[in-house]
Amino acid sequence: MILLEPHSFVLEETLLSRFTSEKPEVVDIKLVDFDNVIYHLQSSPEQRSLLTLSVEMTYFNEVLAYGAEEILAREYGDYMVPPTNSQHNISLQFDLEKLPEDKAALAKHVSLLKRNVLASPFLRAFEYWESQQEGAGPLMATHYRENEAIYVQAQQDRVTVIFSTLFKEEVDRVLGKVFLQEFVDARRLASIQNAPQVVYSSREAPLEIRHLPGLRQDESVGYVSFVLFPRHFADPEAREKTISQIQLFRDYLHYHIKCAKAYMHSRMRTRVKEFLKVINRAKPDRVTSMSEKRTATGRYFRPQFRQSGSPQQVEGEW
Amino acid sequence: MSNTLRPYLNAVRSTLTAALCLDNFASQIVEKHNVPEVEAGNSKEVLLNPLIVSRNENEQVLIESSVNSVRISIKIKQADDIERILAHQFTRFLMLRAENFVILRRVPIKGYDISFLVTNFHTEQMYKHKLVDFIIEFMEEVDKEISEMKLSLNARARIVAETYLSQFV
Repeated sequence: MILLEPHSFVLEETLLSRFTSEKPEVVDIKLVDFDNVIYHLQSSPEQRSLLTLSVEMTYFNEVLAYGAEEILAREYGDYMVPPTNSQHNISLQFDLEKLPEDKAALAKHVSLLKRNVLASPFLRAFEYWESQQEGAGPLMATHYRENEAIYVQAQQDRVTVIFSTLFKEEVDRVLGKVFLQEFVDARRLASIQNAPQVVYSSREAPLEIRHLPGLRQDESVGYVSFVLFPRHFADPEAREKTISQIQLFRDYLHYHIKCAKAYMHSRMRTRVKEFLKVINRAKPDRVTSMSEKRTATGRYFRPQFRQSGSPQQVEGEW
Repeated sequence: MSNTLRPYLNAVRSTLTAALCLDNFASQIVEKHNVPEVEAGNSKEVLLNPLIVSRNENEQVLIESSVNSVRISIKIKQADDIERILAHQFTRFLMLRAENFVILRRVPIKGYDISFLVTNFHTEQMYKHKLVDFIIEFMEEVDKEISEMKLSLNARARIVAETYLSQFV
């Protein structure tokens, strides 16, 4: 599994099992997705057939400005209800008795909710490009995690997407550098010449966003810019695909950094085992008949002198 | 194996073999104590001259011997950030398991990456030449392992990047 999928698998599973169950049960489930998105799936004991899905998103107010509302209305209009809880940003309600025929498709469609909401700044930028206006479009920032953001800006001939990502640990930072460097270099390959251009800089923010206040500019931050060309978003199908993929960039990168660390760990574990074998070769085989000698009373006889570990016990200070 | 590694390891091997000539020696200062003199450092007369075998400034072995114990400290080659992190993680990983490795020291000597402490009790209970073999093999394998891990990391990064970018085509 190299690539991540844009939909939330666990949300799809849970929804589908509720949709298809014979008897509606009372549920109260919390699910999480990338970027601190929390789904809350509930149904009350009084009205078991009504299933409510509430979504908590920290960046919802930002994407509202980029037209998330219209996307939601278009995609999930039939199910939208006003959120009951102030923590929740979006609420969808499903009547289990009036579901459409293809329940699997509905579950899949709902599981793409986060992706569709986050698509709004991208769609806005692509529309700006279509309108063929002079100069650069507005810089749209989405703070999808604490201290991390996606910036999207349309230009006359291209759309620039800038990710800022935070590496919490020193190890992550170094591994992240290796991975990002490969992203920059990979374009040299003939087969992926058409991929968006990737520019990577650590600590120094790219020119497009340098004027923004409150940018972190130290070792732990990485800035990755993708330059999308018209061929990536001119035709609607490619556009949807591009949006799905590019959104997941941060998760993809961090996921693979974690995988690399896990792999290194398991490798070291095997290597340590090998070393142990080598050092154990230095220990002479104990003669079994020696250790099984018994005294006349039937007790085991063990030589008393020189116990291993005894020098360590008396030292104390080092 | 490269041209300079073989003589380097040979030098370490013969120095170690010579240094591992240990005897049971109780403390002269505290009665009924028997401590590795190289660690205690209380009686100067039982310490021998420390010796450094060096391949280059980044790869060195410090051998400090005394009448009843030898301390071997190894500096592992660390060319860049990745190698530094890999070496650090690897040595940490080993030192957390020092109990199983009998002769491994939990904390390295300052300026070195990993240290071993061999006392006369170890040489009495274990084959001396096999102990030397272990240290030499360790030195060989550590470099190999780190460079292999680095290569595999780069290969992984490349595949990851290519797979991601090829989706856009």
